Amino acid sequence: MIARITPPAWTRWVLPGIAAAILLGYPLVFGTVYTNIFIHFAIFAVFAASLNMLVSYTGLLSFGHALFFGGGAYATALALENIPGMGLFPAIFTGGLAGAAFALIVSPLLNRVRDTAFALLTLALGQLAYMACIKLRDITHGEDGVGGFPIPDLSIPGVVSVSMVPAQNFYYLAIVILGICLLLMWFLTKTPFGSIMIGIRDNPQRVDFLGFNIPLTKCLIFTLSGFFAGIAGSVYALFNNLVTPDGVFHIMTSFTPIMMVYVGGIGTFAGPIAGSGLMTIIEEIATRYTTQLVLFNGILLVLVVMFFRTGFVGLYLLLKQKLFEKESSR
Amino acid sequence: MMLAVKNLNTFYELSHVIQDLSLSVDQGEIAALLGRNGMGKSTTLKSIMGLARPSSGQILYQGIDLTGKPPHRVAQAGIGYIPEDRRIFANLTVRENLQMGAKNQGNTGSGNRQNKWTIDRIFDIFPWMKERSAQNGRFLSGGEQQMLAIGRALMGNPDLLLVDEPTEGLAPLIVRQVRDVLRDINQAGMTLLLVEHNYSVAASLADRVYLMGKARIGYEGTMAELEANPKIKADYLEV
Repeated sequence: MIARITPPAWTRWVLPGIAAAILLGYPLVFGTVYTNIFIHFAIFAVFAASLNMLVSYTGLLSFGHALFFGGGAYATALALENIPGMGLFPAIFTGGLAGAAFALIVSPLLNRVRDTAFALLTLALGQLAYMACIKLRDITHGEDGVGGFPIPDLSIPGVVSVSMVPAQNFYYLAIVILGICLLLMWFLTKTPFGSIMIGIRDNPQRVDFLGFNIPLTKCLIFTLSGFFAGIAGSVYALFNNLVTPDGVFHIMTSFTPIMMVYVGGIGTFAGPIAGSGLMTIIEEIATRYTTQLVLFNGILLVLVVMFFRTGFVGLYLLLKQKLFEKESSR
Repeated sequence: MMLAVKNLNTFYELSHVIQDLSLSVDQGEIAALLGRNGMGKSTTLKSIMGLARPSSGQILYQGIDLTGKPPHRVAQAGIGYIPEDRRIFANLTVRENLQMGAKNQGNTGSGNRQNKWTIDRIFDIFPWMKERSAQNGRFLSGGEQQMLAIGRALMGNPDLLLVDEPTEGLAPLIVRQVRDVLRDINQAGMTLLLVEHNYSVAASLADRVYLMGKARIGYEGTMAELEANPKIKADYLEV
């Protein structure tokens, strides 16, 4: 037996430190265009992670997650348009609450079905929101969407006030808000509540006889997932300064995070984040040469489903295991 | 009387699996429900637990009517259940499995016992769980899974534990370990209703015994009475 050398304690801060330094320096080094691409990635990472709470952890495939994303985006946009002097953080929080409220409203319906029926019901609810958004012109301005609303400054009264219009400034706000969301969701999976989610996925009956009220628990999971999707939508609204039915309620808004979860690696927390990164990069490169982005996404999905169903993260773990095994057999 | 089941009838579709079954369990005892395969022993436990819905009859637990209540309500009333199939959450760690079961951990819970079951007390009776608390449930052997299921049920601090075939498919040495654990927790104050196919395990544990023939109770008595009556034993248990 070879004694294992324990690395000194400070080394465990090296990787997070490097990551933090890269995140901090990124907009200064790469400029506006790449900063915007990164913000887009971060928004969809949180959106996909919120969907992942349902898909990977609770075993519920939702085809209508745009309902919560769009709800959050519209809530923030409409609040900023109609309420003078609305602050930045209240506006973002309003988006989260709207996502949570939408989830709470539909959860009694969703609780009645499972599996395929669940997927189809969420699809129908998502489409219903899309149509309602187009038809309710008085509130949502129909297909024109809500745009040009004022973007409040980030201000701590008497201390500092920063405009959020320049991409660099907005970048720091976005990564902090979205980073906190990801941390909270990650933390949630480590709590007993996270165990209950996995328990419901693996065997709901067993969770039931341990004394947990399943419909109530699922309702809470939907609400939390809706909240985080709403925050993602809210940041999206601030980022683009425009929300339209086609932008946030369209069926592709529901499918994109599903693809991110599958491409990144279903069943893992890092999966949707990796998926969002990978698909953002592919989108960026592909759209330079062609307008047929769907073709690339389609090929990618076929490859994932046929050859590595555990996705990008699964592939990484497999490689790591292979390398590790070689080392130990030496 | 802690648990009283009166004239219970349960159907699976058209087959009448439990017919007019009555039984009772007293505080502090181990009652065993024995019989050949397919007589409805497991379904009796499932009916009490709310996992199978009885069509008629009554289930009274400490004076409360639990008939037809959903499983989580039965569990909250203080009945723990250890099922016979693969019993644990394979994708959760040993510690997470135990935490899932945790109920009434504080001193202000519904039970009035002094000794609450906590994760530390579970680790005391199963020391291996402490060492392997971060391991996923799927890497446990059958006997370890059974012990984890027992630990998880204890974490809910029930007053009555329904145990379905705890020694099924286990090696003889492990069977003895499981038996000893069940005896220990009974001596610590737990009431047990045990379904067993292993007669010697049941005989060494049970105070009272119910023998099940086709879908109904055919014999009721103390374990000593049954031991003294080989004919009845042969009628109900020998294959």
